[in-house]
Amino acid sequence: MKSKYIILIIILLAIGYLGYQYLYQDHRDIAEEVAAYSIASDQVNQEFVTNAEVAETKYLNKTIEITGTVSKIEDNSITLDDVIYCQFTAPLETDIQQNQNVTIKGRFIGYDDLLEYVNLDQCSIKN
Amino acid sequence: MKKLTLLLSFILTTTFLQAQKYYTKEGFVGFEASVPSFEEVKAKNNSATAILNTENGEFAALVFVNGFRFKNALMEEHFNENYAESSKYPKATFKGNISNFSPEEDKNYSLKGSLTFHGETKEFNNVPVQVTYRDGKYFLKGKFMTKASDFNIDIPSVVKSKIAEDIEVGFSFELEKK
Repeated sequence: MKSKYIILIIILLAIGYLGYQYLYQDHRDIAEEVAAYSIASDQVNQEFVTNAEVAETKYLNKTIEITGTVSKIEDNSITLDDVIYCQFTAPLETDIQQNQNVTIKGRFIGYDDLLEYVNLDQCSIKN
Repeated sequence: MKKLTLLLSFILTTTFLQAQKYYTKEGFVGFEASVPSFEEVKAKNNSATAILNTENGEFAALVFVNGFRFKNALMEEHFNENYAESSKYPKATFKGNISNFSPEEDKNYSLKGSLTFHGETKEFNNVPVQVTYRDGKYFLKGKFMTKASDFNIDIPSVVKSKIAEDIEVGFSFELEKK
């Protein structure tokens, strides 16, 4: 009789634990995810210039790696070849230089048709 | 000579026109639909684009819907998949005008325009916006109220008590010369 209660309590605890894990699961860790696409910046840009809608559907919310030349460095963002805008979650602490060739991994969030930029967030530098 | 004046006037007008536009790529847009004593329903987005034409007060903004970050990952997922349907409608856009805009002045204005989100467009006629001009930059700040139902978003009855009907949207942009 007693062991029945113990089993019941264990089951309830397990359900509670799993429920909690589900409700309060962790955010995606983009830096740890395997990139779905790995491409050059001019190639990505070309896809958006050709057909922004098709390219947007293809990349939306996916983790991608883009290789290009650094054209602008700001507090928490790096722009590649004036067309790929990569936002970092924390202020940058790297010795990356202007015109350096880098590969940046991030989540594609959309194509900015006002300024014509490809936007990535939660970025990390690969090399 | 004629060619030279033409070229000069062309250069002058283009630089003149370019000088009138101010923009940002990391604007802040946030919203909150929390109900007291329940878990907060709040998200922020730091990658909004905004452009202001100081010549005529024309203003446009763009937000990537899946760029909204929630504290709770599951809430973020539900927001994207069930409510905002960000894969179908990846962007929210605003196009409007700040009436009687006077450049390089600190002033409170009224913003008028249309907001498109989740495939629906709603007109806003009087969004108060505070403009500050500092060191060649314009700081725009404001907030307004809206409803999920304005944008054809159904909130299931199960969670209705946990999500406020009136949603407060706030924005803040630091615009620099293009």
